Amino acid sequence: MPTSQPSPLQQRLSAYADGEIVDQERHDLEALLVNDPQARTQQDQLKRGADVGRRIFDDLLKEPVPLELVRTIKNAPLPRRAVRLPQAPRPPLSFHPSGPQTLAACLIFFALGGGLGYMFATNPAGQTLASLSAPPAEKRDWLDDVIADYRLFGRQPRHMAEIGPDGKADILEWLTTNTGIGFRIPDLAQSGLTFAGARLVTAQGHPLGLLFYKRSDGDSDVVAIAFGSSSPDFGKPMEDIRSDTAVVSWSTALATYVVVGPSSAADLDDIAAKAAGLL
Amino acid sequence: MSQPNAITDIRRDLVALLPRLRGFALTLAASAPEADALVRDVCAKAIQKSHHWKGEGRIESWLFSMMRSTSVETRKKRRAETTVDVRKSAPSEHALNASPLSSLPDGLASAFLLGDVEGFSYKEAAAILGISSDVFAKRLCAARLRLASLGMDTAERRA
Repeated sequence: MPTSQPSPLQQRLSAYADGEIVDQERHDLEALLVNDPQARTQQDQLKRGADVGRRIFDDLLKEPVPLELVRTIKNAPLPRRAVRLPQAPRPPLSFHPSGPQTLAACLIFFALGGGLGYMFATNPAGQTLASLSAPPAEKRDWLDDVIADYRLFGRQPRHMAEIGPDGKADILEWLTTNTGIGFRIPDLAQSGLTFAGARLVTAQGHPLGLLFYKRSDGDSDVVAIAFGSSSPDFGKPMEDIRSDTAVVSWSTALATYVVVGPSSAADLDDIAAKAAGLL
Repeated sequence: MSQPNAITDIRRDLVALLPRLRGFALTLAASAPEADALVRDVCAKAIQKSHHWKGEGRIESWLFSMMRSTSVETRKKRRAETTVDVRKSAPSEHALNASPLSSLPDGLASAFLLGDVEGFSYKEAAAILGISSDVFAKRLCAARLRLASLGMDTAERRA
């Protein structure tokens, strides 16, 4: 059996049989096959080899495929597919500022930087960041809570008090028990005030008794007397106006009292003086 | 239980292509049982990697390429595992194979099958075998010449 490598002519003829040569070479080979009997012999040899090989493979391909092989393939498990659950399309996160937007952002940051620089420049002593970030508003105190309660309930004529003026005994027992302060309900008729009832509220988390009075002359003004045990000791009597509300407060050894009324009430100190003697 | 889509079920294509896959496996393996084992391995791989097949071109190209690379891997593993001299064992294995293909040097039968029987272009066939087009052309030509002489020997023996 020949074992030598195929010659260049044999390779060209083999490629010619497969249509794997360019047109010019094909023309050359066709001319050569017409004129050269040796070339035709080699072409025949290649054809014969192809025929033999095809017969061999035809026989091979006709052989029945092992049934076990077919079964193995048919019963092979398919790979698990990754299932993408349906979900709402995400909004595109794209940041493409336009020219004017970029300019505006630059100006804003420039103004902010300039402002901060100006603040530091005008305060050479240097405030700490903590002091800069501290809230400017004062902290709410006990008296603020008292005023807030008065303003809330004093403006609700139909639901101002929990217990009305007819339940004085109940009020005394209820508020004494809850505030820990023994008291009486002052009669302020001489000051033109009529008792309108009482309510228990809280100030700074502690119970606070509120006694409401209405003007006898039909004015809508409401005056309240508030008292609680867990309250700051104001020492001497104090008058103040907060949020359009006037307060007069005083303290005893056991409790702190506040008379609250509209800032327009000019007689609030007189009322407080009388109430202090009657409580 | 839902049946897999017939169009996307590669197992049908594999069963239909089994004779041709087996024919190519016989050109790569030393014996028929080895060829069947090779076909089984390649089909299992193809099923597991079926999502890689995008439906472009001929599926046979993909399967034949996989078979060629699997055959190379198997040979390497076998060489690493066995302590027996491969040169001595190879002829005996080929002797078990009754096909006339066993008389062809390595690579010629595969080249003939792809180029002549399967009708792949030189470029496609060379890509499947992992060689250049020139080398493939040379192997195909050599295969034809060897088969021609094989045919003559057979005819002479018959005579």
